[in-house]
This record gives sequence, structure tokens and C-alpha cells, in this order.
Amino acid sequence: MTNKYYEFFCPVKVVAGKAALEHIPFELMSLAAKRPMIITDKGVRAAGLLDPVIAACEESGLEIIAIYDDVPPDSSTTVVGAIAKVYRKEKCDSIIAVGGGSAIDTGKAVNILVSEGGDDIAKYSGAGILKHPLKPFFVVPTTAGTGSEVTSVAVISDEKKGVKLPYASPFLLPNAAIIDPRMTLTLPPHITAATAMDALTHATESFTCIAKNPLSDAYASAAVKKISQSLLKVMDNPKDEGGRLELAQASTMAGIAFSNSMVGLVHSLGHATGATCHLPHGLCMSLFLPYVLEYNLEEIRAPLGELLLHLEGPEVYSATPANRRAEATISAIRKLRDQLYKRCELPRTLKETGKVLESQLESIATMALDDGSIMFNPKEVLFDDAMAVLQRAWA
Amino acid sequence: MLAKRLQPMVFQARRAYVELMFQVMGRALQAISEVDDSTRNEIRPLPPGFLFAMQVMPNGPKLIMEHTGDGRLHYHGENAPGPVDLSIQFKHMAHAFLVLSFQEKTSTAFAYDRMLVDGDISLAVRITRVLNRLETFILPKLLAERAVKEYPETLNLPDKLLNAARIYLKVVTNFVETVRA
Repeated sequence: MTNKYYEFFCPVKVVAGKAALEHIPFELMSLAAKRPMIITDKGVRAAGLLDPVIAACEESGLEIIAIYDDVPPDSSTTVVGAIAKVYRKEKCDSIIAVGGGSAIDTGKAVNILVSEGGDDIAKYSGAGILKHPLKPFFVVPTTAGTGSEVTSVAVISDEKKGVKLPYASPFLLPNAAIIDPRMTLTLPPHITAATAMDALTHATESFTCIAKNPLSDAYASAAVKKISQSLLKVMDNPKDEGGRLELAQASTMAGIAFSNSMVGLVHSLGHATGATCHLPHGLCMSLFLPYVLEYNLEEIRAPLGELLLHLEGPEVYSATPANRRAEATISAIRKLRDQLYKRCELPRTLKETGKVLESQLESIATMALDDGSIMFNPKEVLFDDAMAVLQRAWA
Repeated sequence: MLAKRLQPMVFQARRAYVELMFQVMGRALQAISEVDDSTRNEIRPLPPGFLFAMQVMPNGPKLIMEHTGDGRLHYHGENAPGPVDLSIQFKHMAHAFLVLSFQEKTSTAFAYDRMLVDGDISLAVRITRVLNRLETFILPKLLAERAVKEYPETLNLPDKLLNAARIYLKVVTNFVETVRA
């Protein structure tokens, strides 16, 4: 008899593929929503990514009632409050978040306020505070990495107190995630690379950390396969719609995987590095992934070895002795990083970023030890261990 | 049939065991914060007066601790003197029993969603490190290896025995004082 136990939950309807945006009006109508508000950022609007969303709705006679396009990269309680005011003033009845992690998190937080009432989003911070379903909420991701469209968490900064407020509830999950290749077609190469490495890290950590389970494994391994088969093709041909769709789906699948089995030390170090040195999250993931896998190697040899099949294909997998597959997986990830460096100079070491000082490593290690994800790392991590990984990732 | 008749007794015994373990843990946490520098370093960043609780949902046994300052903890039994800042809640008595009888590691219980954290997660991680350190001191190595993710290689037997003796002495003293009071 084993003590093993897991929970798996993902009620998000995934609407993916060609002309997926054109399904939005039907999906809204099926939830009796007629007055949607779009929440996005200036970059998304300037790139023209709102146009096909609006056109898809207008063609079906559905008017977008309000558009808020000023979400900052680190969304705040003030921004959330301001958007909620617009939503109420315009008598909207649903939200469509179009963008990356910040726009999506902002959409989740606005949905709390407009559904639960009040102006103070801070009072809903924490886990399990929400007890009722919220307003209809749709997410259209414009990057292929965060997986926020299928996670039940959001992080919003409280500017006055200088803290980041976490929100966690299954009611934050959108009703539908709309994955349309048009939305990621114009992503610049370094963002394509960093966000794909973010998704690869979600999948790899989900597959190797202590909360792994059979269902999240299925999503994680499929995500790894899609990324390994499509990333370099898209880097070489950014207008490859099929490849873009594969990466976007991989990101969603990796999101489903990690939101049900959590992540480990790569994220602990990545969160701390991002907070200390203001590096993008996806880049941090790419920087630490191989070094953390090396650190965890003896605890994760079996699952890591399995990933070789999805990274390098059946021929390489079968030609590699079983006891060398875990190392071969790490080599394959290093090789992928080298290829990305060649194509867009995505840094492979902390030094290559030019934004991290060696003197900052100690404070990064200290901060990483208090990160929630460290709990799910398969191997215990002490300060010296975190420093050793950081030193290896340095240069 | 017999199993069904015995079930209430099993439930009672399990509850009594969890209650006893919480009482021992509470006193031992207070003791380790008095004898161990590393523990005090872990606790020191918490604000003085910070209250944290471990409890079994919905109305099961509780363990309330307060940071009284300079890394020292005070055990309050089941009654918090104010609003609790951080609570770690087992979803069911059976889950608390699995962890407190060393059949499941604390980190595994988190991974298996057996517990909920209400409050700052980073502080919960810190408290978990303190619990792990306590368990490595006061449990025989074979049991401690079942309770923590990794038994520290650097912990030698004389250190372990000395610290365990000091912690147990303080726990017993505290129990006696409680009974006398």
C-alpha cells in the first residue's frame, strides 16, 4: 500500500487553433455575457493584437463595451481599483484579458472586485478567501510561456505597503483560454525564446518535483515534446503559424501541469533573481534549469531520463543507455540553450546577462530559501547548496 | 462488524495521539528556540508578537506559538492571545496523524495537498525548516529520516544527543510546570 496521493483540477475550456478568436462571441453568449470589457497593455495594443479580437466580436454583433489598455508590467492594487471603476461605470458583465502574465493577473484581480464588491482588492488576498464563482472571464494569451491562462493564482503589488499580494482560488481560473496562433506571431525572437524556456521549465519541474502525478506528467511530457519539436523551427521562421500554435499549446499544457504539481528550485532561484536584478522571469528559468537539474540529479534520475524521449525523440532515447539518459536530458537542454544563444543571444549564464553582480548571489540565495516553491524541490536546499548552484550558473 | 465497533475508539486514539504530539511539539519548539542558535536565526526575522498555529480542520487540536523576540518562541497551548498571523492547517485528522506518526514527511504532506497555509508562504517555509531541525534533533535517526526530506550529513551524534537531551529536559520541565499550575 502506498501513501501516494494527488489532486488534479483544471476546469478551463481550452479553445485552440485556427480562427480560435472567432469563438469568443459564442463562448461569451453561452455564459449570457453581452457587455465584455477588454483588459490589456499598451504593447499589445500597439502591436495590433487587439484588432482581430475586436473584429471577431464585431462580426458577430457583439460590442466590446470598454477597453483598458494601460496595465503596467507589475500590476498594482491601484490599477485594479481603477479598472473595476470603469467596469462598473460602463455596466460591463464579463472580462477578456489579452496579454501576458501581468494583464492576465490584473484581469483575475479585477474579476474579484467586480464580482465580490468593494474597492479594496487587498482584503481578498490569500488562499481560499473566495467562496463563489466570479463573472465570466476569458483569457487570450499573447506570449507562450507563463501558463497564467490555466492557473488559479494572481500576484498584485500593493504600492502603498511595498508588498506583493498573492491571490489563490479555483474561482480565479478563467472560463476559457483562447489560444490563437495570430496572437504570438509577432513576438520578437528573444521573447519567443525566453517564454518557451519558461514553459519548458514549468514542464520539466512539474515532471520531476515531489508533487508530480500521472495526470500532470501527461501534460508535462507532451509540452516538452511540442517545445523541442517547434522552438527552433519558430526561431528560424517566426511566421510559422503551425509552430507558433504548438508553442502556445505547450505553454498552456505546461501551465496545467505545474499548477497541479508545482515547481521547484529553478523557480525559487528565478523568483529571487528576478526580484533582485529585475531580469525577465523566462530568462531566469532558462539560466537556472540545467544547473538545478544537475543539483537534483540523483533524486530525479528516473523521470529526468524519461524526458529524453520527449526532448530528443525515440532514436536518441533508445540509443542512450538507461543509466545515462538523465545526463543526456540535461545535455539536450544545454544544447537547446546554445542554439537559442546562437539565434538571439539569450544569455546562458548570470554573467552573460550583464545585469547580475557576483556580490548579489548571497542575497539571491537567502531570498530563494524562503520561496514557497522550494518546498516541492526533490532535494533539500540549504544556503550553501543554493550558493553552489548560483556559482555554477554564474559563468 | 468488529472493525466498525472499534472505529470510534480508533478515532479517539488518533485524536489523543495528535493532541499529545502537538503538546510535545509546542514545548519542544519553545525549547529548541532557547538552546539552538540556528533556530533563533530562522525565527528572528519574524516580527515580535507574531503568532502561528498548526491545527487540524475544522475544530481539531491546535498548537499556538508566539515569537516573543530575538528568535525565541513561546508555546501558548491551544489558545491564541490574539489573531493568528500564519496558520498551517491539516485538512483532516488522518492527515495530521500520517505526518505526526512519521509515515509522511511534512514536505510530502504539502505536496499532497494535505495541508493549507493561511498567511505568508515564505514564513511557512521558514517554520517548516525549524520543524525539520527540531525533528532531526529529537528523533532517532531512523525516524527522523522518515520525517524530513534529507537528514543533515553534518549533524554528528554527540551534538544530536546533547541538543536532544537539553530539549527533552525543557519539555519535561514545562509539562511538570503546566501540571502543577
